[in-house]
Amino acid sequence: MAALRQEQALNLAEEAVKTALKKGADEAEAFIFRGESTGVGIELGQIVRSARTVDQGIGIRTIVSKATGFAYTNMLNSKATVEEAIARALSSAKASKPDKNWHSLPAKKPLSTVKKTYDPKIVNLRPEDLVQFAARMLDTAEETDKRVSPIEGGVGTGCFSEAVANSNGVGFVDRGTAINCSLVTVAKDGNETTPVCVEFNAERSFNIDPEWVAREASHLAISALKAKKTETKTTNIVFTQFALQELMQYAFINSVKADYVQRGQSSLKGKIGEKVASELVNIHDDGLFEGGLLTGRFDGEGAPRQRTCVIDKGVLRSFIYDSYTAHKESRESTGNAARSGYLSTPSVEPTNFHLASGRTTPEDIISEVDDGLIMYNLQGAHSSNPVSGDFSVVATPAWKIEKGELAYSVKGAMVAGNIFEVLKNVSALANNERKFGQLVAPWVLSGNVKVIGK
Amino acid sequence: MKDTLARVIDSASAFGADYAEVRAEKLFETALTLEEDRVEAAEQGIEHGAALRVLVKGAWGFATVGSLEAGTLKTAFSDACRMARAASARLKTPVKQAEARVVEDKVVLKPRKDPAKISVEEKIGTALALTKRILAHDKRVRGCTVDYLDLTGTCHFMNSEGTYVEQDKLYVWTRATATAAESGLFTFSREEIGSTAGYEVFDTATPEKVGTMVARRAVEQLKAKSPKAGTFPAVLGPNVVGVFAHEAFGHLAEADLTLAGSVIQGKFGKKIASDLVSIYDDGTVKGAFGSFKYDDEGVPAQKTLLIKDGVVVGFMHNRETAHKLNMKPTGNARAEDFRVYPLVRMRNTYLQPKDHTLEELLEGVEFGYLLKSFRGGQANQDGTFQVGIQEAYEIVNGEVGKPVRDVSISGNTLETLHKVNAVGKDFELWPGRCGKGQTAFICDGGPHIRVKEVLVGGSA
Repeated sequence: MAALRQEQALNLAEEAVKTALKKGADEAEAFIFRGESTGVGIELGQIVRSARTVDQGIGIRTIVSKATGFAYTNMLNSKATVEEAIARALSSAKASKPDKNWHSLPAKKPLSTVKKTYDPKIVNLRPEDLVQFAARMLDTAEETDKRVSPIEGGVGTGCFSEAVANSNGVGFVDRGTAINCSLVTVAKDGNETTPVCVEFNAERSFNIDPEWVAREASHLAISALKAKKTETKTTNIVFTQFALQELMQYAFINSVKADYVQRGQSSLKGKIGEKVASELVNIHDDGLFEGGLLTGRFDGEGAPRQRTCVIDKGVLRSFIYDSYTAHKESRESTGNAARSGYLSTPSVEPTNFHLASGRTTPEDIISEVDDGLIMYNLQGAHSSNPVSGDFSVVATPAWKIEKGELAYSVKGAMVAGNIFEVLKNVSALANNERKFGQLVAPWVLSGNVKVIGK
Repeated sequence: MKDTLARVIDSASAFGADYAEVRAEKLFETALTLEEDRVEAAEQGIEHGAALRVLVKGAWGFATVGSLEAGTLKTAFSDACRMARAASARLKTPVKQAEARVVEDKVVLKPRKDPAKISVEEKIGTALALTKRILAHDKRVRGCTVDYLDLTGTCHFMNSEGTYVEQDKLYVWTRATATAAESGLFTFSREEIGSTAGYEVFDTATPEKVGTMVARRAVEQLKAKSPKAGTFPAVLGPNVVGVFAHEAFGHLAEADLTLAGSVIQGKFGKKIASDLVSIYDDGTVKGAFGSFKYDDEGVPAQKTLLIKDGVVVGFMHNRETAHKLNMKPTGNARAEDFRVYPLVRMRNTYLQPKDHTLEELLEGVEFGYLLKSFRGGQANQDGTFQVGIQEAYEIVNGEVGKPVRDVSISGNTLETLHKVNAVGKDFELWPGRCGKGQTAFICDGGPHIRVKEVLVGGSA
């Protein structure tokens, strides 16, 4: 399984498109992905695991009489199997039903440039280097406090390349790198065990700080000790990025995806131009964000990535689109077609969903709160109502804020609210923006959320 | 294939592996997504690849490649050994594996309806029948999504101890979701179908039956009211008991998580639940979504008793955790496919039925909630659990009352297990998918049970 060079990948994709057209497709697209990752894993305070993954394959989309078929294979070295996959994509299309809304695969458009998405330093790291970084995390955690156990974590690197070609002139290649390190801790004191506490770095360039990650994860666990139950009341919440990311992912983001909007499964349908959040809230979906975890030059179907204003000073400005949903409204794709490697057809997903930060320091945010909770992480966001935005989660770990200061850690408190109300009630944004999966955001202070305690 | 794998395994020893295994797979998939009457994508996949694992000086090395070619596999073993050697540099306690019987076996599945032999047209037809049924149920049903997946193929497992298992894989899965809306209110509902028997699962879980169930619930939720927030008695239906057995308790008893300090740690032989509670994790239920004959370390699946009459009597193991706790492997090592290494995963996890009728469970409750079907659940190592509920009713004076919407319950698993004060005699198993970095197909279930009190988080 020799590594495909970028131009080879593009050639193979273009060949597959030609073959599909020859075999009877009206339109065709091929997407080739190759990913290599290397990682070492921590378990119960030791580095006991290492893994190396090489995965490459081709996904072929064909359109026959406005019906779409798709097939994939990872057997790129077998010409017969690639042709079999093309034949299956065609048979799938023929078995499928015509879609009257089908327009066409995207046409070739000029791409923007992106910064800090590929770092050769990451490619050149050896397994021994990764073991060193993991060891530094473990040493730091052990030195911080003996009540802390680093239970899980690791260091990983990845590099990938992708090529997309279609019968409408698209033919692009790109590559990228990523590195991450993480540590999961618990603290134990007597009979008390804290909930798991997590810290991590995830970057596109070689820019991680294992000691910082270990120190933060350890401090978090120690300060989660001596947890108390809290009372039931409606109060203020400081959402850290961990908590915010979960809630946005499960309770909010579907509402701005054009496919959900068009199918009537979004509470934001018909609200373009309306105020849907506090005027402090500015959100861009930014596929070009410098060094962003989801930054790239083109999306999963070869449309240019771009920066799209979703919410401007609290006013809803745009949804996010792939080319299919964009054509339905006679507009342009916003470059939001996402793919999981070569294994699936594109679907509408955000890139870097960027909630702009404010000017307040995190310390000042807390000092502004007379009574409330800082919710560091949470459980159960995936059981939110993705349409209405209602959520009911467990805050863990979380700390009570009294008279502008962290008072004590809180156990077993449920937090129930509605993400749209949370965004309307935002009263401050901190200046501590960070990248977190699909989200780029600071801490957010919002009010009028129900905390259910003892 | 067997000869190739044997040669490759031999090469691993030459690279310094103290233990080596290879899992070679050939897989075929069909996947469909339908939105209303639109077939969004009909997908087919053909793939093969191998997962290789070694122990060198007590550290694991793992490599995966999308190839079954001997040369590529040998190179991957060499990479895995080099990585494991690097990782072993700081090891204080080397990894060892509990003994496992050397087996040689071939497991051939004989489904009545083999999904690999059913046309894409027929699969689309079944999925369309489901979406049509959902949309026809009521005009307030605004949308539905049906996902279908089948996976077939063969897995060849060989290790350096002489075990060789050739095993067919077969999974059929469908999820149907419906959304309903009325005067600005949105509700949704979901059901899953899953089987390792074959496509014949749709003969019993018919589009008619499943579609009606999904649509009816979405519509019924429209007239549901918000729950009160606070602590209330609750009767949990089999579907919610299942997610409780799996999420709130099961994960804590996966021995890797137990060893990582879950609240079950140190509780072996101790009473952690009411006398009425016995919980199994069972890989042998015929045709169930979490069943298989051998796990991905070549260990036979079995019926594992985790809690007996309230006392912890077992954990779920792979060979590594079994060695650490000086127990026997239970056949719980599972890998999603050749791209990933096996983890301790659940199979079919359920609470054992006892002797009460549903009426008897409801009888004693003045005011509480009947929690019928779950939306999602999650637990933390400290035993804090949260379960979101998609179908619930008030219980008023022992009778089932009005539907309530967006209920979520929470508590501490061990405290809640002690509060189980009656267990029903009915029994249902529900298929699902569990995420732990990888997806595993599972079932969970049990009878109806009554819990003295649980924290209910109402809507805001």
